[in-house]
This record gives sequence, C-alpha cells and structure tokens, in this order.
Amino acid sequence: MFAFANLCMYFRGTYSVWISKIQVNHPAVLRRAEQIQARRTVKKEWQAAWLLKAVTFIDLTTLSGDDTSSNIQRLCYKAKYPIREDLLKALNMHDKGITTAAVCVYPARVCDAVKALKAAGCNIPVASVATGFPAGQTHLKTRLEEIRLAVEDGATEIDVVINRSLVLTGQWEALYDEIRQFRKACGEAHLKTILATGELGSLTNVYKASMIAMMAGSDFIKTSTGKETVNATFPVAIVMLRAIRDFFWKTGNKIGFKPAGGIRSAKDSLAWLSLVKEELGDEWLKPELFRIGASTLLSDIERQIYHHVTGRYAAYHDLPMS
Amino acid sequence: MRTGVIGLILPPTFSFLEMMWRICPALAVGCTVVALVPPASPTPLLLAQLSGELGPFPGILNVISGSASLVPVLASQPGIQKVAFCGALEEGRALRRSLAGECAELGLALGTESLLLLTDTADIDSAVEGVVDAAWSDRGPGGLRLLIQESVWDEAMRRLQERMGRLRSGRGLDGAVDMGARGAAACDLVQRFVREAQSQGAQVLQAGDVPSERPFYPPTLVSNLPPASPCAQVEVPWPVVVASPFRTAKEALLVANGTPRGGSASVWSERLGQALELGYGLQVGTVWINAHGLRDPSVPTGGCKESGCSWHGGPDGLYEYLRPSGTPARLSCLSKNLNYDTFGLAVPSTLPAGPEIGPSPAPPYGLFIGGRFQAPGARSSKPIRDSSGNLHGYVAEGGAKDIRGAVEAAHQAFPGWAGQSPGARAALLWALAAALERRKSTLASRLERQGVELKAAEAEVELSARRLRAWGARVQAQGHTLQVAGLRGPVLRLREPLGVLAVVCPDEWPLLAFVSLLAPALAYGNTVVTVPSAACPLLALEVCQDMATLFPAGLANVVTGDRDHLTRCLALHQDVQAMWYFGSAQGSQFVEWASAGNLKPVWASRGCPRAWDQEAEGAGPELGLRAARTKALWLPMGD
Repeated sequence: MFAFANLCMYFRGTYSVWISKIQVNHPAVLRRAEQIQARRTVKKEWQAAWLLKAVTFIDLTTLSGDDTSSNIQRLCYKAKYPIREDLLKALNMHDKGITTAAVCVYPARVCDAVKALKAAGCNIPVASVATGFPAGQTHLKTRLEEIRLAVEDGATEIDVVINRSLVLTGQWEALYDEIRQFRKACGEAHLKTILATGELGSLTNVYKASMIAMMAGSDFIKTSTGKETVNATFPVAIVMLRAIRDFFWKTGNKIGFKPAGGIRSAKDSLAWLSLVKEELGDEWLKPELFRIGASTLLSDIERQIYHHVTGRYAAYHDLPMS
Repeated sequence: MRTGVIGLILPPTFSFLEMMWRICPALAVGCTVVALVPPASPTPLLLAQLSGELGPFPGILNVISGSASLVPVLASQPGIQKVAFCGALEEGRALRRSLAGECAELGLALGTESLLLLTDTADIDSAVEGVVDAAWSDRGPGGLRLLIQESVWDEAMRRLQERMGRLRSGRGLDGAVDMGARGAAACDLVQRFVREAQSQGAQVLQAGDVPSERPFYPPTLVSNLPPASPCAQVEVPWPVVVASPFRTAKEALLVANGTPRGGSASVWSERLGQALELGYGLQVGTVWINAHGLRDPSVPTGGCKESGCSWHGGPDGLYEYLRPSGTPARLSCLSKNLNYDTFGLAVPSTLPAGPEIGPSPAPPYGLFIGGRFQAPGARSSKPIRDSSGNLHGYVAEGGAKDIRGAVEAAHQAFPGWAGQSPGARAALLWALAAALERRKSTLASRLERQGVELKAAEAEVELSARRLRAWGARVQAQGHTLQVAGLRGPVLRLREPLGVLAVVCPDEWPLLAFVSLLAPALAYGNTVVTVPSAACPLLALEVCQDMATLFPAGLANVVTGDRDHLTRCLALHQDVQAMWYFGSAQGSQFVEWASAGNLKPVWASRGCPRAWDQEAEGAGPELGLRAARTKALWLPMGD
C-alpha cells in the first residue's frame, strides 16, 4: 500500500495533466498486437520453463452458479499440486514449490476455500470477487458491504468491478471516489480493479479508466470479468500495459496486471508472457505483479508439459481433474 | 499498348515483394523483362527458372546476376524499350545522363528514406511503433527523418529510447528477432554517417540486443543534428532515425518539404482536419495517416522530386509499361558529338533586318511575364518573317535573366492557382476560349500570312477554343478516386499539380499546339513558362493579350527568343518541376541529359512531328497523365 493523500486533493489538476489529453489510435494498436504474437516464439526446454512460470501466475478460478464445497475443495487441491508429481520430478522441479498464485471464488464460497486450503496445508491467498460481480449494477452500500464480508471471511485479495456507467458518462471524479471507497473497505487486503474493458467503448476510455484505478490505489488492474462478450484481447492489454508503464514513470509505483477470460491454450499464455516482457520488462514477471485469471488453461499447460516430458499426447483422463 | 522489352535494375538490398511488384505488372500487360540483380541474391534466379518452365513462352523473364558495372551496358542495349531503375540517387543521376538520347525510356525510383511527422495530438506510443516499422525493422527500406512537435519532444524521446531498448536483432531465421542485417556495404555506410553526425555535434543513442559481429548494426537515434550540417542534407541510411523538433504544423510542412527527396511520409495526429491538411501539403508520393509502411499492389507507390517519378502498383504502375496506342516506337536520337557544355550557350546573332517596305508593323512585342508585357533583359528584338518573306513583326529576344524572372513569377502564382477549385480553373479556361473566339479574325489573318488557308486557319482557331473548353470540363469532372486495398478504410488516389511546368512548343501549328499544351497544364493546377513556336510566335503573343486581362499574374508566362538558348536555361533550372520539349532531336537529347540535375520528369518529342489536330495526339489522355502527379493517401479507420 502506498499513500496517495495528496493526489486525493489535487485530482482535478492531475486529471488534466495526466489523462485528458490522451489519445489512443485503435488501428495502430491492432497492428502492434498482431506483430507481438508473431514475433516472439519460444521452443523446447525454454518453452517448458516458461509454461511452469506461467503456472505460477494463474489465479485458479471458478465462478459458476453451481459451485459447492466439493468442487471448491477439488480446485484448492489442484491449486496446491497444479502439475502431476512425476512430470515435475522428470523436469527436476518437484521441490521448487510450484503452486498457482491464488484461488478465485465468489464471496459465498470464501469460507469453503479457506478451509480447504488450510486442510491441504497451503498458504496461497484466496481471492474473492466483489461489488456486484459481474455487472456491478447494485447500490454502493451493498457493494462495499460485500467487500467487508469477504475480507472478514478470510479473503486476502479482492477483485472489484468498476461502475461502467461512470466511465461511459465521463464522470471520472466520481469513479475515482468510488474506487477509493473500495480501497478503504478492503483494508489490508490486496485490491484488484476489474475494468470490464469489453464494455468501455473505446481504447481511450480503457486508458483513462486504468489511470484512474491506479491513482485511486489499486494494487492490480484487471482486463475483464470473464463474463463479457469480449474479454482479454491483446489490443486492450497493450493499452493497459502502457498505462501501467506511464504511471510507473510518473510516480515510481509498480502496479500489477491481470488478464482474465478467454485464455485457454498454453500457446496463448506464452504470448501473454512475452507481451508483458516486451512492454514492461522482466521485473513485472512475478506473481506479485502479474496474474492470469483462468480455469481451463491449467489443464492445457499440463498436457503440454506431459508432451515435453514423454513425447506423447495425453488423453483427458491421464491428468487429474481440477 | 505495351511498351516492349523492359530492363529492370534492382538495388543491392531489395525485398522479394518489391521485385514481384515490378515484374508482375510488366508481364501482365505483355512486356518481357530482363532483370539485372546483384550477385548475392539467388531468389530472382529461382523465379526465372520457374518462369522458364512455362512451355509456350520461355523467354518472358530473364535474369542476369551481375555487379553494378553492368548497368550502363544493359541500359544501352538496342532492343530495350524501357529501363526501370531502382536504387541510389547518384547512380540514378548517372544513368539519366548516359541514357539521354537513347531510344530506351527511363523510369527512376530512387532513395529509401521516409518521413514521420508526430504532432502533439497523436497517440505517441503508436507513433513510436510507426518509427519501429519505418526504420528499425525489416519492413522499412531505409532510414527515417522524424519530426516531433516541440511540446511532446521529451515524452516522445523517452518512449523511443525505451522501445529501442527492447528491440532484438539477429539472423532472420531465429524466430524472435525484429530486424536482421543488410550486408557489409550498408553497415559501412551507416557507420560513416553516424561518425560524421557525432563529429558535427549530434547526440547519438544506440540500444537494443544486437550481436556485435560485422553486418549487424544496432538501432540508432540521432538528435540535435544542426539542420545546416552536411549530414542533414544527405539521405538517412538504415537503421538510423534522425529526430528534429518543430513548433507548428505550418513549420512542419516547411521543414518536411525542404529536402530534395519526396518518397513517402506518415502523419500522426488524431485531429482529422489537421491530419488531412498535413497529408495534402506534403510533397511526397505516399502519405499514411496514423500508420507507416502499409503497402498494397493496387495502390500506386512512387515519389516526386529527387525520388524519381516512376510508379509501381495501381493504375500508375501499369501506365509505366504502356504507351499510347497508335504512336510509333521511340527512335534513338543519339548524337554522340553533342557537346552538353556548349549547346544553346551563346545566342546566334541575327543581322538587322533590311529597310522596311510597306506599312510599318506594330511596335515589337515584349516578353509576357508576370501578367504583363515587359522588355527583355538583353533589350534586343528579332524579326519574324511571314510565308512570303515579308516582315511580319518583331519579337523580343529573351535570355537567362528573363527565364529566371518568368520561373519566379510562375512560382509566385502557383500556390494561389493550385488552391483554386477545379470549377474556378475551368471558368478561367472557358473565359479564355471565349476570348479566342472573339479574336478569330485577327488570329486567322495572322495564320493566313504564315501560309495557312483561310478556311483551315479559322478551323484551327475554333479547335483551339474547343480544346480549352474540353480540358476545363475534364478537370471539373475529375474527383479523387478511391483505391481498393486490403485495408479497413479508404485509400485516395489524388492527382496533384506538378508545380511550374516548362513547355517548348513545336514549330508547326503555332496556335493549336500552343493552346493544346497550355490547356492541360493549367487545367491541372500547374503554372507554365512557355517558349512558343520559333517560326511564328506572334500567335501565342496575341493570346497573351487576352491572358493579361483574364488570368492572374504569373499564371502563364511566354518567353520568346532563341529556342536552344532558352531550352538550355529551362532544362538546367533546378526549380522547374517538369519539362515538355517539342523541338529538335538534339534539343531533346540535351533536355534529357540536363534533367538529371533535379531529376525533373521530361517529355521530349525527339524531333518527330506530332499531328496536333488529331484527337489522339493533340488532346489525348497522355497529356492529362503527364500534367499532374499522383499521391496515395491512406486513411486507416477504426476506434
């Protein structure tokens, strides 16, 4: 956490200097996005290493209506042992403590998740979504109450959703105030602000919303809930990463980035890792500053590692379910 | 109809795509190609092998692998009808000089530098990506001149340096590199450039993950290079970016147009009006708005000024390999003993005319410069005789100073004239046509004195007026055509005026040829300096009396005098943008030789007479094509 007291008071001045003149050119960003996917490919043992690193960035997520304690328990165990033991032994990585970065669930299931992780003897954090996830169209009072309840139950990371109507009507100061209230409600917990970029309308709005979320005290900015029609895409990510870099240049604070939704294959995850490496550098490739929100990605990564170790393609039943 | 055999010369570092874009249109219209490629590249040879397997036509593509010394040999082979040269500036100049008078036409595509204009309303990060596309990758042909608005200088430089640090260079087949190497010669060139720039006080920054062996050179950013230093006049080599600041958009245009090169440029601004204004104002062949380096075979790509005026892609690319049907093939007018240093240098002195008989003719005409008649610098006139040998009148003897004055007057009138709408230009041409018709009897009687029958004379005057009206209407009807390309958004093919056009009229058809050449030039927005027919310039001067009242000053200027001398002055003038010469074969050769000075496009008749009264030759589409130059304006869309 860092102090932003003076920014609170000088919001208007900062806004006009940092944000109001920003322009983002969509076709140019699209072109850059296509290039990145084509130009940085990793093969062989380096690919296996990058995949294991990608595993340590995953926030293993389950956000369905039919979550109960049994599948939460299974998920938590998978979070502790993401890759089959013998595959890790073959790569000589079984004693490096490879787990996923966190487990992400709905507020009502936080208790189950905390219990399951304690039983497994694992200290990875439990992240809870909050503030009317996924649409965010509920009263502010109930949204803040959700955060407080989730923190009480034991969640140490909170993923909040911003109020898109404020962005679309240009009420930037109101957006800033709301996120500051979320920050206060979180207390000591880690705050991730979901921008729901698929619903923001333009890349310029994405940049502005990212900046405001960072100014208001978020620890991470996240692309999407995973429930929109368009979730995490490269053009949007490029704009958000540029915002993170500009914020770092202006204040010296490093904010983390989390793409979520639509990342299903191991190849995609490698592309995301190279994107962050290209735009921000190696310091951001740590679980404290980079997460990937995914549920089926882990099984695809495991299959790729199986192929790397054994040379054969795995069947669905060869690898433990999550 | 097609031209014939094309000789194609490619530079030492050319891409496969560029080669295909030059060979395929030539083959498609029915020409055959002989290509000279540098010895280090096997790709064209493989291509020729493939084309050799086409059963019925084994010889359509021939490839010779040889060094640059074979260029003049190939160019002067008797069977070649057109030489398409792509490469460096000095070699292009030398080739232009050596091919003067030969029967082969020459198309030049020179230089690899491009320009990027970054305004304060741009998306700076995306513009930095544009810089990478232009100069620090394998997609761009050469170096980049970067103009950054002063208010965003610091931000832009910081982002450039950060981005430069992330570039990776290495062998092309390694899957994760941004740029490769271009050979030892290119490496030497850029090392010399950077050393000179440093010695002249510039700041040089190099970064990126680059192997340190010889042919690899790191991406380089040069700033604070004083504009007056010799380094700033030379073309920027790959992979260097030379950055300089500007204050306002108007200053940006002046700085950007203040170089002899005119290849391609991009404008980065999110304000549509400003972006279009800059795009229209840049004197280059291709303008990209908020993008850089986009190419498509259906969009014409070429340049202006010293980047040569040959095109590839789009309709202009096809016109390169075609010539108007019905015209004979060009003959060689080469005379080996033409002395370029003395041609037209001295004006032959004319004996004073004998005592005048009969009614005294009108006082001598002056030169029509800047909208009014002026006395010539040399203060002398020469007599013009009619068909029966009697004195018809006196005209002034113009010289080098008069040519200089005429070109200056034309330049002063150019911005106003080029800025007029096509409707306004058409209205002026129609007014001139009406004035010609009012003067029909005077003009017909003068033509009669020159030996033309009365009926034919009247027909000539009527045809001249009709031509003026027709060209006015043609320009009215012309819009900006949309090119289809693989892009989301329009690509416009604009036709822009060349600038100041120098026209040397033929001896025959003194009125009709004069009008037929003047009308398309003016209709497309150029201003003109004309040398009328030597045999009878009086008809042109009669028309000038009408132009004095109707046209803005300096729009059309007429200079009479010794044709060879005036041709020399015009051909060597660096500020004339194009030249049309319809005189002798020797004159044609001189004009082609002299055009190498500023590489102006030249249209020379080589001594062949032209049937000006026929539609095809006197008012055909060829005139319209030559009177304007093309610019491709790319407008990617999306938000």
